[in-house]
Amino acid sequence: MIDPPAAARPPRSPGAQTTGRQVVVFADAADEPVDWSAAGISDVADSRDFSSGRVPAQAMRDAGATVFARLGIAVVAAGPDQVAALRGARRPVLSVSPELVHHVLPEDPSAYVRGYRDGVTDLAARLAGAPVPGEETPLPPPFADTAAATWGIQAVQATTSPFTGQGVRVAVLDTGLDLQHPDFVGRTVTAESFVTGVDSAQDGHGHGTHCTGTACGPRVPPAGPRYGVASDAEVFVGKVLSDEGSGDDGGILAGIDWAVANGCAVISMSLGADVAEAHPPYSAAGRRALEQGSLIVAAAGNNADRENGEFGFVGAPANSVEILAVGALDPRLTTAWFSARSLPVPGGEVDVAAPGVDVLSAWPMPERYNTISGTSMATPHVAGLAALWAEATGRRGYELWATLTQASRRLTEPSVDVGSGLVLAPQEGAGTARGRSRGA
Amino acid sequence: MGSPLSRFSVTVDDGHLAELDSVASALRDSGMEVERVLGALGVITGQAPADARPSLLAVPGVTSVDEQLRVSLPPPDSPVQ
Repeated sequence: MIDPPAAARPPRSPGAQTTGRQVVVFADAADEPVDWSAAGISDVADSRDFSSGRVPAQAMRDAGATVFARLGIAVVAAGPDQVAALRGARRPVLSVSPELVHHVLPEDPSAYVRGYRDGVTDLAARLAGAPVPGEETPLPPPFADTAAATWGIQAVQATTSPFTGQGVRVAVLDTGLDLQHPDFVGRTVTAESFVTGVDSAQDGHGHGTHCTGTACGPRVPPAGPRYGVASDAEVFVGKVLSDEGSGDDGGILAGIDWAVANGCAVISMSLGADVAEAHPPYSAAGRRALEQGSLIVAAAGNNADRENGEFGFVGAPANSVEILAVGALDPRLTTAWFSARSLPVPGGEVDVAAPGVDVLSAWPMPERYNTISGTSMATPHVAGLAALWAEATGRRGYELWATLTQASRRLTEPSVDVGSGLVLAPQEGAGTARGRSRGA
Repeated sequence: MGSPLSRFSVTVDDGHLAELDSVASALRDSGMEVERVLGALGVITGQAPADARPSLLAVPGVTSVDEQLRVSLPPPDSPVQ
């Protein structure tokens, strides 16, 4: 993913001990037998041949190869050349690595004393106004919009992703979409209104068009930089907020129900109420949506005022355990001043973060584009990225959730503000066994 | 009579998901004007007198009766949304 500068990389521990045996990782093909004789190896111990699947230590020492069938891994007493003969075999080999000797990590009794010393040094330096050791390195330059792409699209690495959300349905539940917007001409858009007394999902506010643009806008807009993540996703626009920007549970839950029934893998909700308790209907809706393969992504909320020492809290529906809460980052990848902090209760966490300051996206004509800020703008970035991961891996529901947090770039910001960090787009090779295997 | 109408979301337990319609009619019998029966979510929304909450909660299969939250976005020209 993101490599640190070479100078900052910790030195590899000198001379990792090896056993002389090789660890072979096979591709996922459970029933395909391995032709050990091709490598001149006999005496194979297979975990399936032992009661309770446990290979005794003595058998492992004696065998030419020990196969852990459930893991698709074998430990082989042979040289690398010999094992290389397996590469041409019917069951593909993903990797061959020397078996390492592992040790209990050593305790360091001097660490406490050194920590104390460093603390005193740091305090003295701060009091004296001198630079603190290790903090002299200048900050990396902030992201910036270019002619090709907005800063947010660059930061989440959508620009280099080969995935587009093709074949994935994404629902955006908001104030609707400008259905005649030139950037969405030719796209498959299914639109429905859940606002009482309003028949069309046409957006008379702007917020919904902006969020839909970020989640699903085109790869190459006819004018201006790229601002959308999942450019080939099938768009489901549910108008659950009026043109005045308001709505209640009845319409929002109806929109979620519609999106789940239509098989939307991702449901983006840039909306919320400033209540600190999880709201039971949203928890039930989130859980049942996940069970049916739909992941709900919601804005953490904008109720912080960090410059004045107020950190806010994650509101409903994002504070339900079963709903992924998204915080907002600025172009330096620090927490946006308005972005809500985690609540100390289950579900009240900010789960991930995404670009949410000075975000350019679509706006109802004639303006066409607008640049605004909010956790509302961060949320559809994550929804679009979820669609890319859904396409790349085929994962849905809880698995897709885990994939997003796993694939987030960790930040130095507090986890109460950004959770697992900045969600990133899948790159070439993501989602295949070969791509996931290091050293293949 | 006289209690003002409130908007409620009624959450149905896992054991009654297959019988949402009969839960909905039991809610009607308990004074709720049912607006939507959400089959994929197991949630029923509608209006009822504010003081009808205990009797709605007593309907078999109902795990939670919650007054609906209202969401409001800032106006379109607000820099933070």
